[in-house]
Amino acid sequence: MRVRITEYLEADLDTETWLCNRCQTGLGALNRSYKEGCLLRERDPREVHIPVGTNREFNFSFDPDWIRIVEFYCPGCGTMIENEYLPPGHPLTWDIEFDIEDLRRKKAGTAK
Amino acid sequence: MGKLFDSRAIQFEGFIYDRDVYPRGPGYDPAIIAEGLAPITEIEQRGMDQLSDVDLEILSHKLTCVVEEAHDVYQELSISEAILTGDMNTGILTASGDPAVVATGIYFHSMLNCAQAKYILRYYKDDPTLGLKDGDIYFFNDDFAGVTHVYDMFTTMPIFYRGELVAWATCGGHQGDTGGMAPGGHAALATSRFEEGLRVPQLRIGENFQIRTDILDYLCQAVRNPLVFASDLKARVATCLRIRDRLVAEMDRRGPEPVVGGMRKLLSRAGRLARERLAELPDGIFRAIIFTDNLGRELGLSRIPTTVFKEGDELTVLVNGVSPEASCGAMNATWHLVRAALGVYLFSYFFRGLPPNAGLLEPVRVLVEGPSILNATGEVARGFGTQTAACVVQNLHIIGSKIAYAGGYEESVTTPFSRNPQLYLYAGENRRGYQQANISTLGNAAGQGAQFDRDGESAFGFYWGACVDSGETEALDSRYTNFRLARRVECNAHGFGKYRGGAPLAEVSMTYGPKGCLMTGAGACDKVSQNPGLFGGYAGPTNPQVVIRNTNVRELMARSDPRLDFDTAHDLLVNRPIDGDYQFRSSSTATEQFNHGDLFIENVSGAGGYGDVLEREPQAVLEDVRSRLITREVAEKVYGVFITADGHTIDVGATAEKRRAIRAERLALGKPFAEFIKEWSRKKPPQAILKYYGQWPDPRVESYDQPFWGIYPKA
Repeated sequence: MRVRITEYLEADLDTETWLCNRCQTGLGALNRSYKEGCLLRERDPREVHIPVGTNREFNFSFDPDWIRIVEFYCPGCGTMIENEYLPPGHPLTWDIEFDIEDLRRKKAGTAK
Repeated sequence: MGKLFDSRAIQFEGFIYDRDVYPRGPGYDPAIIAEGLAPITEIEQRGMDQLSDVDLEILSHKLTCVVEEAHDVYQELSISEAILTGDMNTGILTASGDPAVVATGIYFHSMLNCAQAKYILRYYKDDPTLGLKDGDIYFFNDDFAGVTHVYDMFTTMPIFYRGELVAWATCGGHQGDTGGMAPGGHAALATSRFEEGLRVPQLRIGENFQIRTDILDYLCQAVRNPLVFASDLKARVATCLRIRDRLVAEMDRRGPEPVVGGMRKLLSRAGRLARERLAELPDGIFRAIIFTDNLGRELGLSRIPTTVFKEGDELTVLVNGVSPEASCGAMNATWHLVRAALGVYLFSYFFRGLPPNAGLLEPVRVLVEGPSILNATGEVARGFGTQTAACVVQNLHIIGSKIAYAGGYEESVTTPFSRNPQLYLYAGENRRGYQQANISTLGNAAGQGAQFDRDGESAFGFYWGACVDSGETEALDSRYTNFRLARRVECNAHGFGKYRGGAPLAEVSMTYGPKGCLMTGAGACDKVSQNPGLFGGYAGPTNPQVVIRNTNVRELMARSDPRLDFDTAHDLLVNRPIDGDYQFRSSSTATEQFNHGDLFIENVSGAGGYGDVLEREPQAVLEDVRSRLITREVAEKVYGVFITADGHTIDVGATAEKRRAIRAERLALGKPFAEFIKEWSRKKPPQAILKYYGQWPDPRVESYDQPFWGIYPKA
């Protein structure tokens, strides 16, 4: 039984695994973070948020000493499943940790 | 609590989590503030038993009309710059002091007014020097006693019917100046509560439906804008009287018991409906985190994580591992502010469609580690605690959207409303000839979050209440000390994604008149943003303060020079058609004198995006460019969309090739988890910015080595 969890994630409740919703690539065990099954990339935020003006300290972008973007890609299709804005080196966020039995019970009858 | 909470949650020893950390003092009692709904009284029970579901629905509509009318009365009578735009609220409390009916507006204002009524009932009602009578008028603005911050000022009046206390009318909002260190209120640089001006826990300012003249004189003398203060205080009393008149009329018609019982039943029903919705959603542990950068007098990194335990029909919001409270500014929040602020998200999104009152928070438990930047002790300044409390709201919004999506409530799924705080406080003599001292209202035109199936609306409303407006330009020009040259939806100022976040309004205004004006800055998000994206959407950008001194704008205006026809504030800052000293700087600044012709650039940033940028329809990207929401550079580098030289069509071939290249680059440069963590965990921000952070990377743990935050072993 596969159920939709987010824009880009599905849960296979039979195998208790995460899947990419776009290409069905497996992203690891459901009782772990799907981020462990992704490709991760650190980016300088100024690549995305282009600075305004020439002031190094204040320029409407993020200061890379303070914040980096960590992007999480599906290893099958390269879709950006999620990203995080974190100080360099800060631990990542285990954002979704289901009670799998409760999920199975509530999703019974709603699987696609 | 539930099994997930019991097995996984950690509350660090020595910290207080379930109430404000400061002890009871003169006029305030944190134990009262932390109390839930009062027990059902006998008269309430009799009334509840008399009401059918249909009766309750009719009564609910009636009482909602009463508070909505009161909202209009207050807004129409007020001359305060912030109240005029709707930064306020009205409500009816039960006789026990619980908010039963709340107007559309700043919901959390009304969620915070109950503590004062409960304090009066507990400590003043039977005090022989005070008592409690029909016609009593109370004023309060002290965050110790449960208010948002001292700049929000309220009035409450008990409502009696045939000699019995049956309800309370409440009314208030962002009044502004308190006579503190910053003209206009919001002293971001304050380091002690004693620098934040007037602070009144709850003061009986009138009896027999009249304000006492000596007390009014005292209060007016304490602030910089006595005309505005006095006028608004009277407006609040008039508003409470209107609520009283309407409620008494309703009791004349129905009898008191059904009205009193109905109000209590609305609270019980809201609690039950909230539990029913929660029970439908999947159980689990959900987390989100935000960092803030500006503590007032100094820039410094602070951490605000949020963990939610959703179990059965209850929600526990646990905020631990927070940075310590900061003594270098006013960005410290209170437990009660965090709790009430969560209502802003829960009422409008998570529990959308349910009646907004205190009952909705009944199944929600809020645990905030203190002392910390989110649950601060008594002596530090806390006037800008809204800034940090909002970070928990943003976290809950992200978490709530993930729970809602998984639970089949996609229509509730959005990125958070734009929050990045940036306040310009203007003070001086306005063109009406009286002293003005208050915040700018431009922040009330922030961007709406991107939704699961569409872009967020631009210039949509105020973070704390979407119906709040940024004000009418000519009215603002006459009430403030500055003159608006331009107000445009800003370019490159929102979060990019499959669906983009709403962009903010940006304002370019000019100091006007020979006396000039004073301006104080209060804000954050100079280095980081508090407008996160969702499901791969990028965050909204940062928004430092920009002023331009010694300009030639007056000469350009005198000759209608076309250089004033800049597209957006972004265009002005990039191409600089106006000569002057362009100063990009921190959002929190001391009070400074500005002179005729100096310019202020305001922009509170836009909301985060939803979904992967590569899934945005190229045509939508083209429209973004054509409407000046993004530059071509963003279209090409971020979205991978190329537009033909004439600017009218997509270069389909180049776009397809660029998007293929971006996707290939992701797969080539992305690293497996273990490899990434090995390199990532060796990094650390410069020590200078961690001065107020606490232990790195977990503020409360000496050495934390997990790849994910918040994974603490049980003792």
